[in-house]
Amino acid sequence: MSERSLAVIEAEELTLRRGRFLMDRVSLRVAPREIFAVIGKTGAGKTLLLESMAGFHRPDGGRVLYGGVPVYRIPVERRNIGYLYQDYCLFPHMTARQNIAYGLKLRRAGREETARRVEELARRFDIARVLDQYPATLSGGEQQRVALARALITQPGLLLLDEPFSALDPVTKQGLYGMLLDIRESFGCSIVFVTHNFREAAVAHRIGVLLDGRLRGTVLGSELMTAPWDGEVRAFLGLPEQMSGKKDDAGEVYA
Amino acid sequence: MNRRRPDLFTALCAGALVVTFLLMGCVLLIIVLRGAAALPGHLASQQTLFALALSVKSACISTVFCFLLAVPTAYLLTRAHIPLRGVVEGVLELTMSLPYIVLGLSLLILFSSPAGKALSAAGFPVVFSQNGIIVAQLVVNLPFAIRLAITAFHGVDRKLETVAGLLGASPARRFFTILLPLSRHGLISAFILIWSRALGEFGATLMLVGVTRMKTETLPGNIYLNVSTNHIDSALASAFLLLALSAVSLAVSGWMTRADGRRSRYE
Repeated sequence: MSERSLAVIEAEELTLRRGRFLMDRVSLRVAPREIFAVIGKTGAGKTLLLESMAGFHRPDGGRVLYGGVPVYRIPVERRNIGYLYQDYCLFPHMTARQNIAYGLKLRRAGREETARRVEELARRFDIARVLDQYPATLSGGEQQRVALARALITQPGLLLLDEPFSALDPVTKQGLYGMLLDIRESFGCSIVFVTHNFREAAVAHRIGVLLDGRLRGTVLGSELMTAPWDGEVRAFLGLPEQMSGKKDDAGEVYA
Repeated sequence: MNRRRPDLFTALCAGALVVTFLLMGCVLLIIVLRGAAALPGHLASQQTLFALALSVKSACISTVFCFLLAVPTAYLLTRAHIPLRGVVEGVLELTMSLPYIVLGLSLLILFSSPAGKALSAAGFPVVFSQNGIIVAQLVVNLPFAIRLAITAFHGVDRKLETVAGLLGASPARRFFTILLPLSRHGLISAFILIWSRALGEFGATLMLVGVTRMKTETLPGNIYLNVSTNHIDSALASAFLLLALSAVSLAVSGWMTRADGRRSRYE
């Protein structure tokens, strides 16, 4: 089976213009059950890329395929994509329990099944004691776990996370690394997250570096610091100057 | 003691505040003092009771219809890609800035046309009838109601609806479970404000239905007729009634918003 047919989501020459900013022909593929990180400076276009993968923007050029179909054309309610915003976007007028159950209620799941699944996820994410609280009374870490549970209760094929580590303290952050691996194992979904911190990206199987709207290459998570990047990427990663490496047709960096 | 003297700008602003307060205070004081004194005798009048009942009834009906049209329109204008959005917004802004008497004149011509006469023949007369009062209030208030609903909807983070969509909510479910509950404070206030405005509408109503005693006589119409016949105290008593109704609606709006805020204090 070719790599293309395996891809859950695939950007092909994705081009987007927003004012002066240009996302320039970004191509990447994410395989089933893969954790993929996109790193780049603030303003590099990471969130725009993630939102495009969720189908929030109509591309100005190229396309994003989800399950082989242009994601933008799939009605949002049928995409089966989980998306975690940086500020979590919990529904403020609903308790944590109602937030988590929201997707199941839409699928007309029975009351008992909904309660069972909510309790199950609450135990997994250690939020059982806050289930009847409103989002505004929860800590940042609790809000994030409620948002994760809400996104996962519908068993999405793809989970997109926008800067999931940025507002967390080091201990909670460490917990989230393990949680991502656990989510991938238990829910079998692919995960794409964006971050500006390359240390946080280490949990991913593969990492793509996005600078100024261009994907400079993708490498295995373990090879981020040893790959032969160009000077700009090396500067972003804080590496000393070195001779440039080469890239294959797919943009993969190799020495 | 180190007391700072106010600067010229602050002093000018304070002057404006004093002038505003005196102006508004005098207007209210005249109605309260003279209107309240004339009210007991005036309340026994059949004409006053008729005008009061007609005003409240027409304001309630027109406000409900106004919101049935304004809320979906505002939803589309804030949440959907619609063609010629600029034209639609331009028409709304223009009708909002038109003198009401001009709107009334336009309505008079519209409902005097063959289509209007056909409507009348079908059992819905508008010109010189009580239905016309509701139509006039509706047309005058619709652009304001849309503007207020748009403001209420703008206050809700669109990302919440996007998340709901990704969880499987159709546009209608997103509207009823996310947008409507989260914009309810603004919509309730808007509803009461529009009801108050409908209660006091006069210009467009005068053009479309005129003012006929005990037929199309609303409270503003009652004031107009009483002033025309030099019954100033009766006019002031009706003005006091309108003022009291506005005060009650403001109080209800404040109470509902506070009660709602207490219920959802964690939002």
